[in-house]
Amino acid sequence: MMSFAFGIIGVAAFALMAPVMQWLTRRAASSVSPVIVLAIAAILSHLASVVLGIAYVPEFKYWNAASIFSFGVMSYIFAFGAVYKSVSLEILLEVTELPAREAPLSDIVERQVPGIFRERTNILVDSGLAERTGSGFVATAAGRKLAGRIARLRRVFAIGDTGLYDFPIERRR
Amino acid sequence: MNLLPGPAQTIAICLSLWLPLLLLGYARFLSIRSAGSRFRIGCVTIVALFGLACIALPGERQFDDVVGGVLLLATAILLVYVFWSLLAWGFTLTLLTALAQAGRPLTEEQWAATYMQGGDLGTFAHNRLKLLLGSGMIVAANGKVSTTAKGLIVVRLVKLVRFATGLG
Repeated sequence: MMSFAFGIIGVAAFALMAPVMQWLTRRAASSVSPVIVLAIAAILSHLASVVLGIAYVPEFKYWNAASIFSFGVMSYIFAFGAVYKSVSLEILLEVTELPAREAPLSDIVERQVPGIFRERTNILVDSGLAERTGSGFVATAAGRKLAGRIARLRRVFAIGDTGLYDFPIERRR
Repeated sequence: MNLLPGPAQTIAICLSLWLPLLLLGYARFLSIRSAGSRFRIGCVTIVALFGLACIALPGERQFDDVVGGVLLLATAILLVYVFWSLLAWGFTLTLLTALAQAGRPLTEEQWAATYMQGGDLGTFAHNRLKLLLGSGMIVAANGKVSTTAKGLIVVRLVKLVRFATGLG
């Protein structure tokens, strides 16, 4: 059971290290993506906790430590991903910040969502996957390559390419 | 130091590797269109197989082995879900695939229409709002939406997670 404890120590180290590294990356205006920063933090904290475990527990069971560490880190990444670029949560946060915590439906449809759309198109342009051509946009070679891979994966796993949630009422329509 | 996983942990690792293959098989053989439903069925299958294997394995079960196995399996489910949700519901990725599939320059309005396959951003907004309405985070009345008490809790949680993960 002591091996689990060192897995938890690893999770704690990751939870402390990851936000600091994210903050430092942003402060340095580095182009390293937040996902890469998380991966580096995970590797460092895992190595540190395993080395400590080997040093302090005579019968250190690696997979006991690794199981709780991987679950803790994955839960963190899951929560991070959920709040990082969720359209639904962005809408919810913006509605909540308005007076009386309410917004006209038309405001969401005509202002908020187009704003989110523009923000995402900018991300694609900034990351070199799309580029502006006159008044329009076109996918770059890197963008076409990535889009091709995604389309193949979607076909293989029979996932639709709308990006919309499947609600029962919509399927009946 | 023991580098070898226990029997239950070994099964969990094998089932974790098997989950994407199982989803691939379900894509071929199940007539369920919803990506979310297919993912849930895949998860229930591997959890059930893990439970059966824990019962069927000869010898006495070690508590730490089973706990480790459950955690490894849960990790795999979360990891596969992250990629699955990006493929199925990723907004930015779908914008990219829509632009690439168009094969010609698109204005912002054309891009939105291509993304929505003929619809507009209003359809997209209603789809995302349905998620918030269905989960009780907002209510809609008289052409307005407002945050519920549950929505407020989620907002506070989101702000806490953003702060704790360094997203600000």
